[in-house]
Amino acid sequence: MTTTTSAGTRKLTIARAMAEATAQEMRNDPRVFVMGEDIGPLGGVFGNTRGLYDEFGPERVRDTPISETAFIGAAVGAASDGMRPIVELMFVDFFGVCMDAIYNLMAKNTYFSGGKVKVPMVLMTSTGGGYSDAGQHSQCLYGTFAHLPGMKVVAPSNAYDAKGLMTAAIHDDNPVVFMYHKSLQGMGWLGTEKGATVPVPEESYTLEIGKAAVVREGHDVTLVSLAAGVHHCLRAAQALEDEGFSAEVVDLRSLVPLDRETLRASVAKTGRLIVVDEDYHSFGVSGEIIASVVEHDHACLKAAPRRVAYPDIPIPFAPTMEQWALPNADKIVDAFHQMMLS
Amino acid sequence: MQPTTEQRLWMYRHMVLSRYLEERIESLYMEGKTPVFNMAKGPIPGEMHLSNGQEPCAVGVCAHLDPEDIVTATHRPHHIAVAKGVDLDAMVAEIFGKATGLAGGRGGHMHLFDAKVNFSCSGIIGEGLGPAVGAALSRKLQGKPGVAVAFMGEGAANQGAFHEALNLAAVWQLPVVFVIEDNAWGISVAKQASTAVPRNDRRAAAYDMPGVHVADNDVEAIFSAAGEAIARVREGQGPTLIEIETARLAGHFMGDGEDYRPKGEKEGLKQRDPIPRYRKQLLDAGLLDDASDDTLVEGAHARVEAAIRFAQDSEFLPPEAALEAVFV
Amino acid sequence: MSIVITVPDDLWEGDSEGVITAWLVNDGAEVAQGDLVAEVMVEKAQYEIEAPSTGVLSITKQEDEVVEKGETIASLES
Repeated sequence: MTTTTSAGTRKLTIARAMAEATAQEMRNDPRVFVMGEDIGPLGGVFGNTRGLYDEFGPERVRDTPISETAFIGAAVGAASDGMRPIVELMFVDFFGVCMDAIYNLMAKNTYFSGGKVKVPMVLMTSTGGGYSDAGQHSQCLYGTFAHLPGMKVVAPSNAYDAKGLMTAAIHDDNPVVFMYHKSLQGMGWLGTEKGATVPVPEESYTLEIGKAAVVREGHDVTLVSLAAGVHHCLRAAQALEDEGFSAEVVDLRSLVPLDRETLRASVAKTGRLIVVDEDYHSFGVSGEIIASVVEHDHACLKAAPRRVAYPDIPIPFAPTMEQWALPNADKIVDAFHQMMLS
Repeated sequence: MQPTTEQRLWMYRHMVLSRYLEERIESLYMEGKTPVFNMAKGPIPGEMHLSNGQEPCAVGVCAHLDPEDIVTATHRPHHIAVAKGVDLDAMVAEIFGKATGLAGGRGGHMHLFDAKVNFSCSGIIGEGLGPAVGAALSRKLQGKPGVAVAFMGEGAANQGAFHEALNLAAVWQLPVVFVIEDNAWGISVAKQASTAVPRNDRRAAAYDMPGVHVADNDVEAIFSAAGEAIARVREGQGPTLIEIETARLAGHFMGDGEDYRPKGEKEGLKQRDPIPRYRKQLLDAGLLDDASDDTLVEGAHARVEAAIRFAQDSEFLPPEAALEAVFV
Repeated sequence: MSIVITVPDDLWEGDSEGVITAWLVNDGAEVAQGDLVAEVMVEKAQYEIEAPSTGVLSITKQEDEVVEKGETIASLES
């Protein structure tokens, strides 16, 4: 690919944005390398390591055995020894087989060394359903990862943010969990959210981890979400505009650190809060967002906050059941209507 | 150990039935997915891992099992489910996500549970081993008959769960047999690129249990190896690890371009398709003739068609049923 | 001068149809020879279409449209 397309016109899918950020960092820094299942010649099941094997070869782009405990643990060891590994957990649902390496090692070694041991690694992992892959391949688990201290967590909604966050994650001296939603990747076979494929600068840039973005301004209600949920919110905001209401949409982009300032400022302005989360309803992101606003200032709310989240059930296979359970723009609009009635 | 004529014909019939089921699923799966391949579309959405080529592993092992015996299978489970005697109508209905399915459509093709014949499977690599060990322990503790068989792919032998489960089964001398279906590929990664030993049966030595290798996807060699291993566990003589050289004649999943395979490999495998090979073996032995073969094949096809009709004619559960069955 | 962008005959094996999953450059933008301009998907495989020359892109086949090998999907004015 050449670099002459006029600025601001070249678009990338999130998959390509992640691969481009990784390639640029690998060119700049010999310590950066990639490990995971099918991330070599195949380019990743979800396309986010495409082209890396051809450019950097098998030493730095390493297909692994199906041994997540070993290779994620190995990334912790390599990171602590001065390398900057990027590892892929193909589906976040697979965390069960390797969580010790993630939350007891990756997330705690810095603390247990009194800050002396750095673990500069990126754990990238796919999230989300909507395509009938059932409950072992469709979860988001944002709350699960964000709950555990010691690792940063990002979840972009578009390719611009994905490239900036990926570069920032690779630069970061701390472990970063990079959660990419399958429906945003630009892999057509997963059905693709068009709004995730956006203009992306060719030059390297970073996006600060821990900063949310107001992606649509409004004054009647704040819709807060992340990843695929942001696109549901944008559609809902459009539908509400047609009804004469003005919705503000906050894209969290990072869960850890959580940008509570941006959240609180938005709700202080609108007085209403709806949180949209494809992760499970209870004990998760949506509860944390509401608590972050309410414990700061309960008087800023004109109505009880609401959440449009995944019910507390394993994700069913049958499309009728799965689609019924997933968040969508209609549910967000309904939640707003109920809020205005009460 | 040699199969009886009845066992030979049983194995052949179940291979034919399993293959035809996969062929029908393949064409139904593609409905609504051409020219735009979107996994969410069509009468069978989601991922689809077909078992074409691996049928000998299923029938050669399950020929020795009764409904009371336990089987845990993988993300590629159809052939094993068929051989284990899973209710075919309810299984196909589950693959379609229908109310009459094994789980009312909640599980889909990677999560088939039929308690009547003690069959289950999981979409997570290597995760069938622990439950098989535990079921074997349960039978031992309860003094009940029955043994357990855990199926897995060759890639699963590189998971920690594999080593932990083998050690546990060996140290407690449990009635469980571990069966590796070695189709040489973990999605796009070749076995030799991911595995430090050329043959996983050698890993049995680490747990002081017999390790048996079966070459060339040979139905009767599998029958023989499995028969001996299962006879040993029935007599309380402890677990066995078997690795079977088999072949994945389909992609890892439907839609897989398989560009990672060396040129000509797939064609070579297809020429060694175990079903025509076994048919010829039975014809040569005089156990089958063209007329009886036709009858057998037609019967198997009719059974599959009936199951597919049953699934197609069934309704979906109401969407709210998604909230049910989380707890008993 | 106008040059058309077609789906190369050797982009994938066989006669399957593909679908344009993404235009990676906006209609009317200037592109350079060799720039990646579109993605075409056949089953689960994704293929890349590059600009055959430099010029201003005029898209004739939109995202989600089905395309065959050899088919014209855009033109470049220079």
